[in-house]
Amino acid sequence: MNNHGWVARTIAGGAALALGLTMAGCSGESGASSRPENELHVAMYGDAGNVVEQKMIDAFNATSEVKIVLDKIPGGEYQSKLQTIMDTPTAPDIFFNWGGGSIKSFVDADLVLPLDDFIKEDPQLKDAFLPSVFETAVIDGKAYGIPMRGTQPVMLFNNSKVLADAGISNPPATWDELLEDVKILKDKGITPIALGAGDRWPTLMWFEYLYDRVAGEGLFQKALEGDTSVWESEESRKALGMLRELVDAGAFGTNFDSVKFTDGGSPALLASGKAGFELMGSWEYSTQQSNDATFAAEVLGYSEFPKIDGGKGNEDNLVGNTNNFYSVHKNTRYPEAARDFLKLMYSDQFVQEQVAIGNLPTTTNTEKFLDKAADPEYAKYQFNLVKEAPSFQLSWDQAYPPEATVTILTAVSQFFSGQIDEDGFIKAMQSL
Amino acid sequence: MTTTLANRRRPERAGGPEKGRPARRGGSSSSRPGFVWALPATIFFGLFALVPLVAVAVLSFTSWSGLGDPKFVGLKNWEALFEDPVMLQSLWLSLLFIALGIITQTPLSILLGVWAAGNQKNRAILSAIYFVPLLLSSAAISVLWRALLDPNFGIPGQLSWLFGDGNLLGTQTGAIAVLIFVGMWQFTPFHTLIYQGAARQIPPVLYQAASIDGAGTVRQFFSITLPQLKNSIITSVILMVVGGLTTFETVLILTNGGPGTGTTITAFHMYQEAFRRFDFGTGSAIALVLVVISTAISFAVVRVSGYDKMRSSMEGL
Amino acid sequence: MKTRPNYLAGAGAFIWLAIVAVPLYVMLSATFQTRAEFGDNGPLSFPSSFTLQNYVDAISSGFGRYFLNTVIVTLGVVGLVLLLVPPLSYAIVRSQSRAATAIFRLFLLGLAIPAQAVIVPVFYLINTVGLYDNLLGVILPTAAFALPICTIILSGTMRDITPDLYEAMAMDGASPARAFLRLVLPLSKGGLSTIAVFSALQAWNGFLFPLILTQSESTRVVTLGLFNFQTQFGINIPGLLAAVTLSMVPVLLAYLFARRALVQGLMGAGGK
Repeated sequence: MNNHGWVARTIAGGAALALGLTMAGCSGESGASSRPENELHVAMYGDAGNVVEQKMIDAFNATSEVKIVLDKIPGGEYQSKLQTIMDTPTAPDIFFNWGGGSIKSFVDADLVLPLDDFIKEDPQLKDAFLPSVFETAVIDGKAYGIPMRGTQPVMLFNNSKVLADAGISNPPATWDELLEDVKILKDKGITPIALGAGDRWPTLMWFEYLYDRVAGEGLFQKALEGDTSVWESEESRKALGMLRELVDAGAFGTNFDSVKFTDGGSPALLASGKAGFELMGSWEYSTQQSNDATFAAEVLGYSEFPKIDGGKGNEDNLVGNTNNFYSVHKNTRYPEAARDFLKLMYSDQFVQEQVAIGNLPTTTNTEKFLDKAADPEYAKYQFNLVKEAPSFQLSWDQAYPPEATVTILTAVSQFFSGQIDEDGFIKAMQSL
Repeated sequence: MTTTLANRRRPERAGGPEKGRPARRGGSSSSRPGFVWALPATIFFGLFALVPLVAVAVLSFTSWSGLGDPKFVGLKNWEALFEDPVMLQSLWLSLLFIALGIITQTPLSILLGVWAAGNQKNRAILSAIYFVPLLLSSAAISVLWRALLDPNFGIPGQLSWLFGDGNLLGTQTGAIAVLIFVGMWQFTPFHTLIYQGAARQIPPVLYQAASIDGAGTVRQFFSITLPQLKNSIITSVILMVVGGLTTFETVLILTNGGPGTGTTITAFHMYQEAFRRFDFGTGSAIALVLVVISTAISFAVVRVSGYDKMRSSMEGL
Repeated sequence: MKTRPNYLAGAGAFIWLAIVAVPLYVMLSATFQTRAEFGDNGPLSFPSSFTLQNYVDAISSGFGRYFLNTVIVTLGVVGLVLLLVPPLSYAIVRSQSRAATAIFRLFLLGLAIPAQAVIVPVFYLINTVGLYDNLLGVILPTAAFALPICTIILSGTMRDITPDLYEAMAMDGASPARAFLRLVLPLSKGGLSTIAVFSALQAWNGFLFPLILTQSESTRVVTLGLFNFQTQFGINIPGLLAAVTLSMVPVLLAYLFARRALVQGLMGAGGK
């Protein structure tokens, strides 16, 4: 294990003895105090989808001498936990991530195992996945992650019943139609668009799409590479202006800052017909499904983000979570076991299980299984979106290193609630 | 001061024979414990509080993301801290929270405590209900109020004549008000108990005498009850200050520091810098500021009130 | 106090009753309704049906385990506090050594050290000794941060033991240890129950240490469970509130069976 800092050593050195004495009176408790032989830990984002991960691990453990333990870390705390334990003796052997910026600092600190040797032995570890997706976890030409779970594009969901009642026959194809729909719904006393701004990341999705549609995918790439001047560009200001216009038009109502997605507030607005639209990742479907399966199957509608006339971005571009990945810690004691486990990620069983709970893996054989999806129509729609998209922008908060997240999320929420103006937003983004 | 507090208020006795020798005269130190008795707890506390505190001080001069080794950067974190608008705002917010907490909770809990100290049966029943929020943890209370205050599906949705659009957590004023109110809901029972206990100890003869002099209830309250509760007020206020400074999960769960940075108090700012931005250097600097402020306020309260010289309150706390 | 009626205070007491009781009513009534019903009726309405499903859901999603963990942490913390504080307070009150005075000051100062302030080094300390994600790793720092207030409370109680009693013990040739066991402990029962209640409440409510020092389901305590339920249960407010209600039950039981000790213990914190 990498050494974990002289501060820790200094404290621990002097303290370990005293602590040992104190502990003598206490018996051991449950939990992993030290890692036994033949145990491999997978750090996993904890949510309802863990059932499938656990199944894969059970299948693996049935035949392997090295047993895998799934450490489910509560989703909200995942990134924070991961960073704090990464360079300590309790680091995981394999860890879930979003590729891109979410692993960049680990790679820089030399904590992640490049997977190129594994891929050389078994080319399927790369070839079995859609190339655009695989690239997200390639840093400086080396592969650091194997795609797992699935892709999660952001789409514009709607309550088709609310739209029909308001005389809106189709989801908006263009920005102008969206503004029109907003006006119609607002006049009917319905919140046009549900927004869980209390979580802040749902707000960010609006920025990601507006910038992509108005300025094209290049602007954010440049910003990410360190060219902060792009935030001052004309397109940037245009995108911000349009967002401001949307907020001022009352598209999100007035109390969006008190609503959250994570506590069910904004999905409930959509489901109860108090709102017409919600811009959300593809997991909106499973969220609604777990609350009311009939609503998800019959009333919940979905469409691509509207196109913007005169914008530079392709109207089929997507934003969202390109994919989830498993990466391997450099100091793992059992790299071979880790490799064998990763091979399961393109297995038919894995793809089938994921599809069945509504996830959309991005293996080349996924299409075969779409008919067995929880909702085949929805799965196929999504899969085609991803396949056809000229560009699929990873969420900004994942593309930047984790330490930038607070700044980004604070800026977008302050812009929406009017606490900062365009210049304030530009300045915040330039500070990254 | 060279003697223990215990000795100060008793006649000084000559230092007796050393430990082990039989005592012949009463009160000799042969029956007194050596400071060895204090060592286990002191070492334990030192290990988890004092040693880490030193480490925090050292860390505040480094740059560290939790990966690799900390790098010494001199005063950089400190300089940045004094220019960080969020930090300055957080200090101001923390003080505001403490002040509003004291202002809202103290009069209420004194009144409730004195009222509950009476022996009527209905008071006992009501007191038992008042007590209930004490049975809930801060996390539980925050989760509860988050659900209750949902603008569409909580109480504001049903009482729109009172709450308007229910955007309570969406404005800074609203979010602060919510946090203060929830703090009041949570902590008033505890402080009420303190005052209830203290009010019961006030000798009835004082009130009887005042009655004979013709003093009414209000006058009795101000001339007898309040002065008699002085020590309890000081105790209660110190607990509010320390509690207010370290309020954390309520902010995390109810407002997440928002809207924007509108309720980012210092303790939350520290958590955010350390565990969300992974800037453990800056986080440590903020932590030290917290310690200094907390110590300073406690000292000031103790000094101003003469708390350290008061025997009874010393015993009481 | 005189039992003369005080209408103003009485009216205030009833207003406060409403403020305290209405949220509790909403909480309880929500837990017995289905999600749909709660959504349709609104929180303040009277439930029109009755279900225990929310409690079943909460328990089946792991709450039992969280309870057990919290109980272990609480017992561990109270045990450590009861082991460490009485000898310390005894030394503070009775020792004539200057060190004892200095130690008392140290703990007075310690009262002002917020646990947040040292969480980063404590994390690395706990991790280094292999106690990360282990309940013992939560117990140790939680107990350490309960020491200052408990020491101050118990020292106060011990000071009330009159010197004559010590003298009587000394006359009999009792050692400090004997005086401690035969005299100090029996006469400090009130203070001991106060610090037990205090440290138990701190452990029961502990949030930050478990948040930073544990990660897996097998070591999750109730407070963190609630925090996570907020996202896990999502839209299911009745389910979430059932979990909140459940989290109260053990303390409620303790309250019902040991009401006097609990209330006296808490009152003990406030001076006399």
